[in-house]
Amino acid sequence: MSPKPSLDSLLPALSEAYGPPGREEGIRAALRRALRGMGTVREDALGNLHLHLPGKGKRLLLTAHMDAPGLIVTRVDASGLARLTLLGPMPAADWIGAVVSLDGSARGVVGWDRPRDAKETREIEPEALYLETGLGAKQAPKKIEVGTVGALLDRAERLGDLWCGGNLDNRAGCAAVVAALSGVRGLRNDLHVVFAAQSDLGARGAGTSAFGLQPDVAVVLDVAFVGESRGTGDIALGKGPCLGLKEEGYLPHPRALDLAKRAAKAARVPHQWLIRESGGSDARAVRASRAGVPTALVAIPARKTGGPRVLVNANDLEQTVKLLRHIVTTPYTGEKGSR
Amino acid sequence: MSANGAPKFREDILQKISNAPGVSGGEEAIRSILAEYARENVDSLEVDPMGSLVARIDPAPARPRAGAKSGRGSRNGGRRGPHVMLCAHMDEVGLMVTAVEKEGRLRFRRVGGIDPRILPGQVFRIGAEGIRGVVGALPPHLTPRAERDKVTPADDLYLDIGARSREEAEERVPVGTYAVFDTTYEAWGTTRKGKAFDDRAGCAVLASLIQRRPPVPVTAVWSVQEEVGLRGAAAAARRVQPDLAIVLEGTASGESPGAPPDEQYPFMGKGPALTVHDRTLMVHARLLDRIEETAKRHKVPTQWKRPGVGGTDAGRIAISGAGVPSAVVSVVCRYIHAPAAFLDVRDAQRTVTLIWHTLETLRKEWP
Repeated sequence: MSPKPSLDSLLPALSEAYGPPGREEGIRAALRRALRGMGTVREDALGNLHLHLPGKGKRLLLTAHMDAPGLIVTRVDASGLARLTLLGPMPAADWIGAVVSLDGSARGVVGWDRPRDAKETREIEPEALYLETGLGAKQAPKKIEVGTVGALLDRAERLGDLWCGGNLDNRAGCAAVVAALSGVRGLRNDLHVVFAAQSDLGARGAGTSAFGLQPDVAVVLDVAFVGESRGTGDIALGKGPCLGLKEEGYLPHPRALDLAKRAAKAARVPHQWLIRESGGSDARAVRASRAGVPTALVAIPARKTGGPRVLVNANDLEQTVKLLRHIVTTPYTGEKGSR
Repeated sequence: MSANGAPKFREDILQKISNAPGVSGGEEAIRSILAEYARENVDSLEVDPMGSLVARIDPAPARPRAGAKSGRGSRNGGRRGPHVMLCAHMDEVGLMVTAVEKEGRLRFRRVGGIDPRILPGQVFRIGAEGIRGVVGALPPHLTPRAERDKVTPADDLYLDIGARSREEAEERVPVGTYAVFDTTYEAWGTTRKGKAFDDRAGCAVLASLIQRRPPVPVTAVWSVQEEVGLRGAAAAARRVQPDLAIVLEGTASGESPGAPPDEQYPFMGKGPALTVHDRTLMVHARLLDRIEETAKRHKVPTQWKRPGVGGTDAGRIAISGAGVPSAVVSVVCRYIHAPAAFLDVRDAQRTVTLIWHTLETLRKEWP
């Protein structure tokens, strides 16, 4: 194992770890391995993974969610196919063809009851999906229980300038955080890093983490998809990380945004603006925690493929790592009472 | 029905609170029955600012007791175990009178989820005095042919108490009065019929559990306003700040001849239903493991609740404060949110038994 984990090794390792919302044990273990030697790691009541890097200065929360799209078995039908419902916002149509790991062990592939005359796949309901495990009509009902949780089994691969993988929302963010922290010196804030659980079910883990830590300032790292940003123009791959200006339930705090902007400038990292009506990272839950936390949102631009895999740009990731490194080494200057 | 070393299910409590009215926001009658019952069993009892009934009960002092039955359940080296919040909601779905019309008819809004298909012709008990009213709708002979097979929207229905004028109706039923289904508890074999088993079943299970000092420190919360947005439990959890929580529910059975056979679950009479996931919660994996192990060890049959549907107080408790590992265990009922629900009284006892032994497991094996 290399002493200093690089994106090239982190992305495949973190992307293939099992970790649907609420069942993040696989990705927690993978992150523990990646963070070895960096400090004390603990798991909290909701399954969030915490790393504290003590430093002088304000308490800074840097958080990236680690859960990835999941599905859950509702029944096994007479032909041995497992029927499903979805965990998280990934549309049913995007699951078709996905290879799935069940509770981190058994495998299956997602299919769809395609009507004979179907031309459109966009309106697919989760009820029309099934999971074929190959176990057959006799074995499947015995081996696959109701409530079995599945996740995409997919190892990120490099394609030219791009990374392609099923769980890159938000394992790309997790990898960027680990890479930014490895070997970092000169922390200017008291840094709490949280890999948050259950983001895809409504920012549940990040909200409770922020409540517990009571940070002075927070930076949320997530991915944002091309096609989502309006106002100043859509975001694009290859133009650097995005700074969030608006999304559902969230507006940045000026001092927190200023921290991110100053860090970007000092690091000479180009950035784009993210303005979306929908979306919804963990930023809203952190921002509104307790009496409010000054919060900034940094997002890695990503592209959907219309299937289970998403794409991110390798240079955007490098730039994000640089930006994060500058954020944790830039002192937060928020005045008291500026929440 | 053997209690298997656990406290006996208190059917008398279930009968009383099933018959009493307690629509969301108007839980007083249920609360007084439970408070009167709980007062003698617990160490402290309060009504919180939302109206939930909160009782604290600590384990017996850590010394060997003569005649302690179970070797496993005996005191364990002075270890207190985690502080567990057990929660069941007192409120039921019902109606609220919102306007009195000049002919003496009462307009109403539904409080909580009631299927409009079951309303026309239904008898309701209105207010604390239980004034009877019938839900009126346009009769078939006055309904256009094209509309006859359609469900009448709830806004077009009204409550009729037989009043002949606005004045007469207003005097008997002021605006804001709640109404509940007019149903009386009955026992049919092991089946029990009554209203509001969602969640009076859970309330009675919780009442049964506090008959003895529990194996771990327990805060029992009978919560308010669950059916209108999981409100009471959210506030209670922030005050109680438990180490973990188990929510006790009455949940819908899936047995219905119209559905595909493999979708017809869970079943009334086949034991407590365990939740893995619903719209509000992913059940904490290790807590669920402890419950499953306990069920196996004590031979309590269990079944799965259908994932992805419904939502309970546990969803709010889980994300309160810095987070609380939470689970849901339910008595499976037929016809919930309807005039007459069924449950199997053996399932109620099994739920008491499972939770009691789970508390013992948690004393030894948590975190």
